[in-house]
Amino acid sequence: MRHVGAIAGRELRSMFVSPVAYAILTLFAIVAGFFFLASVLGFDAQVAEAQQFRAFDYLRQLNLNDHVIAPFYGIMWIVLLFLVPGITMGLFASEKTNGTQELLMTSPITIWELVIGKFLAASLFVLLLVGMVGIFTGILFFFGDPELPKAASGLLGLTLVALSYVAVGSFASSVTRNQLIAFFLSLVLLLILWMLSIVADLGAGGGAIASDGLVSRSMRWLSSADRFEQMVRGLVDTKDLAYFGFMIGTFLILTKASIESVRWR
Amino acid sequence: MIEARGLTKRYGDLVAVNDVSFEVGSGEVVGFLGPNGAGKTTTMRILTGFVPATDGTAKIAGHDIFEDPLAARRAIGYLPETPPLYPEMDVAHYLTYVARLKDVPRGRRKGAVDRAMERCGLADVRRRVIGSLSKGYRQRVGLAQAIVHDPAVLILDEPTVGLDPIQIREIRGLIAGLADSQEGGTGHTVILSTHILAEVEAICRRVMLINAGRKVLDGPLAELTRDGQRLEDVFTRVTLSDQAEASAGGTAEAAEAAQ
Repeated sequence: MRHVGAIAGRELRSMFVSPVAYAILTLFAIVAGFFFLASVLGFDAQVAEAQQFRAFDYLRQLNLNDHVIAPFYGIMWIVLLFLVPGITMGLFASEKTNGTQELLMTSPITIWELVIGKFLAASLFVLLLVGMVGIFTGILFFFGDPELPKAASGLLGLTLVALSYVAVGSFASSVTRNQLIAFFLSLVLLLILWMLSIVADLGAGGGAIASDGLVSRSMRWLSSADRFEQMVRGLVDTKDLAYFGFMIGTFLILTKASIESVRWR
Repeated sequence: MIEARGLTKRYGDLVAVNDVSFEVGSGEVVGFLGPNGAGKTTTMRILTGFVPATDGTAKIAGHDIFEDPLAARRAIGYLPETPPLYPEMDVAHYLTYVARLKDVPRGRRKGAVDRAMERCGLADVRRRVIGSLSKGYRQRVGLAQAIVHDPAVLILDEPTVGLDPIQIREIRGLIAGLADSQEGGTGHTVILSTHILAEVEAICRRVMLINAGRKVLDGPLAELTRDGQRLEDVFTRVTLSDQAEASAGGTAEAAEAAQ
């Protein structure tokens, strides 16, 4: 595993020489700032309204965790779903178009070192984005007192979701030499994974599939949406942690297999 | 240094390399000739471990490319047809990265990079971004990445293709220099593919000719051109007669099948 650092370091450095990294960071900062502001203003409006109507019970229920942080994270989660494919699309595809695949595959490195190095580089970049969300959350602590454990658990959820996106994106980038195809492939995969629980709900509602049948249950199990919501609500379950570990592991194994298969074709 | 036995590569029905065996001794410089599509690149890719052989195997500096691929790859420097460069990196960073990939120990890395740059005439452009370099300089960077870990075996796939005559002469000079024993050590073992025959005459002492995936000729350059024959004539004669034979064999088989 001693080549992992070299591979991750080169990847990160290359990301920051290209304008794409800065464009993504800027874009994300603007989008996150906008939605953060929207969440805070929405909260403010709710408070004002409750005061106006003297709805003190409702007012007591209003809190920063559930009415600012939760909707904010809920949107950031979807923003990441669209941004992460843009970050990961070049991971392996660009090596193929550059011809540098030939350097990597004829160097005394293992495919695992390559896959983990790339995953690590993209993960660190994505952690910067999650870190920005963390900074926005931190602002709330200056002006109010949200519950720290709950906010931290939500941020952990966001991190895990983002890392599983990176693993899916790595896989998409490894199956093609075209970055645009890699982008759309990972987007589609992520959308499918997201939609699974919604489809399961709809199917169960319409009676097409039994709501507690195997199909419905496995669709719900594969979807990260419910697990993320749990974590935003402050519930960190080992089962959910294991799920994210499973997703990341599975897609990294698939990535390795796809790189190997190119060799044997 | 290189010991290839029965190398075969099939892509579906197409046989790209067909039962090719050869040995290359330490310090030898072999010109690998053949018409386009003869299987030169595929053979080199098998030796470097980029594509696996369907059949047969090879040993590089005593390491089997299938049983001990990492050790075999450590002993090889490879310049593919398109140099594997990252356009956004500068020359020194790029070569340091390659040195890390090729397991040059940390303490020797800087020296190895400086030496490779010096030998390939890159000292002046060490901080230049690769994407801004001319084609000739990029080819030199490609060559530098192949020698940065001082490998026993060098495999160069058409190292002078697309260069102007002056650049070609420079690169040839570089390769010839690599093959010569330097500073006490023995020279690199070099396999060089090309279809420029003058290039072979200029640097190689041995010629290997493959056609349609099969090795059809292998011998010292001096012997092939002994009777005052030009290498070009030898090349044309062998390639064409081999093709005629193959098609004749084909019709004979077809005739047999018809009966």
